[in-house]
Amino acid sequence: MLDFLQSASDGILFGATYALIGIGFTLVFGVMHKLNLAYAAASVGGAYCGLLIVKVAAGAPAFAVFFGAFLAGGVLGYLVYLTCFHFIPVSNPLAALMATVGMLLLIDEIIVHETDGVPLNYPAMFDDVMLRVGEFTLRGDLLMVFVVSMVCMAGLLALLYKTRLGLATRAVSQQAVAAQLCGIRVGRVNAMTFVVTGLLGGIAGAMIGASVGTLSPLLTTPLTIKGLIVTVIGGLGSIPGAIIAGLLVGGFESVLQQFRGVTERDLYVMLLLFVFLVFRPGGLFAPKGGRD
Amino acid sequence: MDFYFGLAQIIGVHTLLGLSAYIVLLTGQVSLAQAGFFAVGAYVAGMLTVLAGWAILPALAVSSLFGGAVACAVGFPALRVKGLMLVIATLAFGEAVRLFFFNFDYQVAKGGVKLGPVGGEGFRQIRYFPEHGWTTMEVMLFIWGFVILAMALLWWFDRSRYGAVLRAVGEDELAAQSVGINLTAVKVSAMTVGGMIAGLGGGIYAHYTTHIEHASFGILLATFALAYPILGGLESVFGTVVAVVFVQGLLVEGLRFLGDWRNLLFGALIVLAMNVRPKGFLDAPALLWIGRIFRGRRGAA
Repeated sequence: MLDFLQSASDGILFGATYALIGIGFTLVFGVMHKLNLAYAAASVGGAYCGLLIVKVAAGAPAFAVFFGAFLAGGVLGYLVYLTCFHFIPVSNPLAALMATVGMLLLIDEIIVHETDGVPLNYPAMFDDVMLRVGEFTLRGDLLMVFVVSMVCMAGLLALLYKTRLGLATRAVSQQAVAAQLCGIRVGRVNAMTFVVTGLLGGIAGAMIGASVGTLSPLLTTPLTIKGLIVTVIGGLGSIPGAIIAGLLVGGFESVLQQFRGVTERDLYVMLLLFVFLVFRPGGLFAPKGGRD
Repeated sequence: MDFYFGLAQIIGVHTLLGLSAYIVLLTGQVSLAQAGFFAVGAYVAGMLTVLAGWAILPALAVSSLFGGAVACAVGFPALRVKGLMLVIATLAFGEAVRLFFFNFDYQVAKGGVKLGPVGGEGFRQIRYFPEHGWTTMEVMLFIWGFVILAMALLWWFDRSRYGAVLRAVGEDELAAQSVGINLTAVKVSAMTVGGMIAGLGGGIYAHYTTHIEHASFGILLATFALAYPILGGLESVFGTVVAVVFVQGLLVEGLRFLGDWRNLLFGALIVLAMNVRPKGFLDAPALLWIGRIFRGRRGAA
């Protein structure tokens, strides 16, 4: 029982990063009704860019690395928008989807090329802190990951519901044409969505690097899949859904890893997804069908 | 010369994979599960020839049927969801298949050697072609026989009522439904045909490489399967072939002299191709232009 609680809580704390990746997918889908498959790769790419700071100024604090990853993620997000969505006609979703796949391969290969495929160490904060309650422990670095992720989500929700940009974003996601008629520049809102999700992705990538301890290009594919699963379980386009589903998938995965081993773990996560597809295809919080 | 025959084998098998995604794309469904059906076909055909001692043709027939059956079974739950949800569902299915074979052990001792798939190590010694003394050229012709068969089938579909129905569903589901088309039947049947072609391709793949492992059937292969018809264009089956030759012949083999940089260019070229030709290489105007060349000026008038 203690093992179960321990692995579940570790998983839920780590699941906060899945939630961030899931939000990135879901937000772009909500606004543009398109899938950005390059997102997880761009997030990991952002985290790598954060490491450049250590290269330039050796001994830079972990905080600086995270901040660098945050900014680099935003820049990469804008680049993905420019290369995969800006010039491709809206009426052609397949081309945009394929272009994001090309971008995924490109970012992946740039990382492999620059690091020779060797995993790099990633700095962490509070990794020597352990909160103990009897035999039950909470790892300090995982707690930090959880708190940072939650702060980012709160920031995103504030942006969406308290600012003019957020208002415009929500308007575009409801009815792009109507929003355009009201004088909202849809293209700019789309680009800003990519920048915002990119910022979130960069910090998510950094948090994953910090909690795993290393960063490797092998992370991109599983992260893409986990992020998409989180998006579906939470309901496409739903931000609270993505948060809850992210924590759920994190906990579920960690518990199964404890009891069934690391090679079978992901198989059960896929099964969880199929259970949702069959019994609740809209996900936990399916947004009500809008007019189109 | 054997090098070019080998390349032609790769192109042939990838064409089958691309065609399996092509027919599903015609109905407007984006399926990343084709690599999964391909893997099922590869393992089934390999086990039949190696462990059960079957001949190649019945083994390929069974692997094709198996791929179709799995695709049909996946089609029903997966097609409850639409559009981008389907991308994710099929992506997860493909990964689930790969992870299944990662954990799959089934070994039989034959003549003192243990044969059969072993989890992470994969399935070695699928040596039907070498054992029966087929040359590289014969294998290549064998593969292309199936490719031409599959292309002819899809080309004929395109000119039949069934092809029109497929495209109608792809263009506008609501309109198709309101003229009395059964959406589920059309989508699941397209998925099944796609699964059969992928299963066949997988069976052939297992025999020409002689060694299959779970890692070859990952998300990369699934995106390749999808990339061929999208890069080539959905107007004609020939688009898929053109795209396979472009990717496997030009990008993978032709750019080998670039060494490390080849992989970098690969992703960038896909991005570029989609920006410049969003409807694929062989889009409607391009086909019209080619048709004019073949028919001469009278045909154009």
